[in-house]
Amino acid sequence: MNLQIILAIVAILFFLFLIVMSWQWLSTRGEAAPAGELIPVDLEAFQNLTDPEEEQFLRTSLSPPEFRSVQRIRIRAAKLYVVALSDNAGSMMRLGNSASLQADQAIVALGRDIAKRALSLKMWCAVLQLRLTAALVFPTILSPTGGIADQYLAVTYMAAKLHAEAAA
Amino acid sequence: MDVLRLAWLYLWIAPHLLLILVAVLMVRNGRQRDFPIFFSYLLYEFLQFVVIFSIWCLEAPHPMWLRTDEVLRGGSVVFRFAMIQEMIAAPFSHSIPMGKIMTRMLNWGTGFLVVISLVSVEYLYRQLPNYGLLKNYVVIEACNITQCGLIVGVFLWHRFLGVRMSPTVFGIALGMGLIVGSEPYMLAFVTGTRLISRDSLQMAVFNVAVLVWLYFVQVREPSDSDFNGAQLLRVRDWAEGVGRITRP
Repeated sequence: MNLQIILAIVAILFFLFLIVMSWQWLSTRGEAAPAGELIPVDLEAFQNLTDPEEEQFLRTSLSPPEFRSVQRIRIRAAKLYVVALSDNAGSMMRLGNSASLQADQAIVALGRDIAKRALSLKMWCAVLQLRLTAALVFPTILSPTGGIADQYLAVTYMAAKLHAEAAA
Repeated sequence: MDVLRLAWLYLWIAPHLLLILVAVLMVRNGRQRDFPIFFSYLLYEFLQFVVIFSIWCLEAPHPMWLRTDEVLRGGSVVFRFAMIQEMIAAPFSHSIPMGKIMTRMLNWGTGFLVVISLVSVEYLYRQLPNYGLLKNYVVIEACNITQCGLIVGVFLWHRFLGVRMSPTVFGIALGMGLIVGSEPYMLAFVTGTRLISRDSLQMAVFNVAVLVWLYFVQVREPSDSDFNGAQLLRVRDWAEGVGRITRP
C-alpha cells in the first residue's frame, strides 16, 4: 500500500480517536468523581491459586491434559483477582492523591506514600495480567505468580493508618 | 489587498494574539503553577510569531526565513514533548514526582516512535520535487507524527489509572492533538508544490486548537471530593476485612 494512504489512514484514525475521547469526556462531565468503591478480595484464595507448591502437587497428581485444563481454570480465576486488586489500587491511588492536597503535613506525607505505592501496585498488576494471559496460552511452561499480594497488604494498611491520622 | 490574503493574515495573526489571552487566563486562575511547561509554550509560540512576523514584514531573504522557521519550529516540537510529559505526570503532580522508570519508559517509547516516523517521512519527502529545500523539515514532521502516538498514550494512561482527566489536561491534549494530528494528513495529501495551501490549513487547525485551549483553561477544575470521612471509613473497614482474611 502507498505510504501516503497509510499516513492518511493514520490521521483519520487519530482524529476518530480524539472524537471518541472528547465524546466520552464531555458525556461524563459534571458527574461526581468516582466514589472508589472497594472490591472485597480474598487474598488467601489468591495466594493459593498462585502457590508454586500447589501447582507442583497438581502437576504430579494429574495427567498432562488434566493439569493443563485445571491450570487454565486457576489462571482465569487468578486473573479476576488481579483485576480486582488493580481496581482497588486505583481507588487507593486516588485517595492518596486527594490526601496529599490536605493541609495537615502528616496526612500529606502519608497520602503521597500511599499514592506512590498504589501506582507501583497498579503497574505490577498490569504486568501480572500480561503474564497470566501468556500463562493461559502456555499453562505448563509459565506459572502464575502472586507476589503482588504483599504490596497490596502494605498499601491497605497504610490506607487504614490514613484513617487513624485523619481521625486524630 | 484581496480577501484571500486578508483571510491568510487573519489565520496567522489572530490565534497568536489569543495565545496571550490564554496565558492571562491561566495566570488569573493560578494554573500556570500546575502547568508551567504549557504556560511557557504559550509564551514561546507568541514570541516565535513576533520574530517570524517581523522577518516577513522586513521582507528578509527566503533562506533566512526558512532557517529561522526551522529553528523556531524545532523549539515548538521540544516544548510539545515536554508538555506530553507534563500531562502524563499530571494525575500525580501533587503527590509523586515522575519516577525514573516512568521517564525511561516514556523516553524509550518516544525514541521508538520517532525512528518509525522518521523513516516514513524521509521516504515520503524524497518523492517531493523540492526535497533539497525541505529536507530539514523531515525531523520536525517525524516528531509531530510521534507526538500523535504519545497523545494517544496520554489518554490511555489516564484510562489505565482510572483517573478522570482534568479540564485543563483534556484541553491541552485535545488542542495539541489537533495540531500534531493534522501533520500526517497534510503529508499525505499536500505536496511541496502547494505549500501555501498547506500553511493555511495548518494555521486554520492552530486557530481551532487555540480556541480549544481558551475554552478549557477557563473551565473550573472540579474539587477533589475523594478525601472525605465516608471514603476513609470504607478504607478502614476494607483494611480490617483484609486483616481478617490474612490473619484468621
